[in-house]
Amino acid sequence: MEEFDHEVDAPRGATSREWEVFVREDTADSLTHVGSVSAPSADIAREQAASLFARTAVTLWLCPADETHRYQTADVTLGAGQTGEDATMSVDEMESETLRGENR
Amino acid sequence: MISVSKLLCDLDAEGDGLRYDAADESTKRQIRDEKQRRPVVVWNVTKQCNLYCDHCYAAADTEIADGELSTAEGKALLDDLADYGAPVVLFSGGEPLVRNDLEELVAYANEVGVRPVLSTNGTLITEERARSLKDAGLKYAGVSVDGLPERNDDFRGVDGAFEGAVQGIENCLDAGLKTGLRYTITERNAADLEGVVDLLTDVGVDRFCFYHLDYGGRGTEIVDADLTPEDRRQAVKRVCDMTREYHDRGEEIETLLVGNYADAAYLVEYAREHMSDAQAQRVYEYLRVNGGDPTGERVADVDYQGNVHLTQFWQGYSLGNVRDRSFGAIWEDESNPLLRALRNREDHLTGKCADCRYAGVCRGASRLRALTVEDDLFAPDPQCYLDDAEVHGPLPFDTGGNSVAGGSSAD
Repeated sequence: MEEFDHEVDAPRGATSREWEVFVREDTADSLTHVGSVSAPSADIAREQAASLFARTAVTLWLCPADETHRYQTADVTLGAGQTGEDATMSVDEMESETLRGENR
Repeated sequence: MISVSKLLCDLDAEGDGLRYDAADESTKRQIRDEKQRRPVVVWNVTKQCNLYCDHCYAAADTEIADGELSTAEGKALLDDLADYGAPVVLFSGGEPLVRNDLEELVAYANEVGVRPVLSTNGTLITEERARSLKDAGLKYAGVSVDGLPERNDDFRGVDGAFEGAVQGIENCLDAGLKTGLRYTITERNAADLEGVVDLLTDVGVDRFCFYHLDYGGRGTEIVDADLTPEDRRQAVKRVCDMTREYHDRGEEIETLLVGNYADAAYLVEYAREHMSDAQAQRVYEYLRVNGGDPTGERVADVDYQGNVHLTQFWQGYSLGNVRDRSFGAIWEDESNPLLRALRNREDHLTGKCADCRYAGVCRGASRLRALTVEDDLFAPDPQCYLDDAEVHGPLPFDTGGNSVAGGSSAD
């Protein structure tokens, strides 16, 4: 049996907290994960999710992405390595490089 | 994307096969011989940016954000996109050139068969980086300029940004990179449109993409600065007129309109009024094959943290994350009722879109703008500028399965 020994712990929020969204379209259905919305609070997340799913859903669950522990088998992970700050310029380097092209 | 130069001036381009299933008729080498079945994927490789633009859909800023995909993860994503059959990856940001591994990622995309193209503000493109990007196999660089110098710099939050972008463009052209303009039209900069094109054609640019403002990220904060419907119609008419004037002078610039498929209907009406019925029918047939607004179908976005979005502008909602499962698995999962509904949107559109005779070439345009302004996913796009006479009535042409190739050419 595969073990869920790989934890996906990278953050998912861009500009505000991220909320995982689950819906059920009929009371007989399983609850289904349908993605996530960005919102600063649960109330606003509910509004955002409702604007996308209220047409068909009878149940809506929200869970803060940063409170969701995601485990999976190693074979479905996206490659190796840590998150990529080392691939990105420092702020100082970025500022010194900006507009440098015009000084040739 | 709607190619004005293709539809009104018959200018062939690399995207004819991909966009209109018209590779056989095109004299240009094609990106794909068949119309795309998989989405073009915008990958925001970073949220960090050296400028601070008023309309940034990614809400980028100068700080490095947590959770960027690493180089190894990025390559795995490119493998994933190649396996799924994505034809093109558009490296975007933030400003993608702040990533020092950009060339490595571009080369890898090329190696696995996903066409690498770039969206940049141009101000970090030195001669060295232009050459290294060309050597890595970059196929196209789209550089954003949003007005003549004063207006552009005001929009982009840094003095000298215009000159820096133009220098970046020159460095790309000197390196032999195909390079074009990206211009987001708003009330603030619509007056500069022709002036920027004139200036950049002198530099050597021959491809110009005009974007309508979408209401995502910081774009939601400047909705009030968007064009009125009448001003939008005039701006689109000016793009059409300008394109034909350039071609009449023998200068074969490529011009495209992006982000509002009401333009598809307008181009048919424009061709009918200013050219001929035969040309209008030809335009209509191309646009019918093109298929209208591509959200959730022919365009996708993966953000810097691996979240998958319906378009690059729709950052507030994510379908899933490529760190959890493959892009293809996320994109194909129609257990998601929103994805299902968007892909059958003609059954859900309301208001004037419900019985619009141009629905087949427009498909309701931007659902994000409808959601942002009307709080209704299937309400009419608030940017629609078609009048009642254009919206109502029978289909513009009896399509009858006519092929574009068999249609009459322009007079």
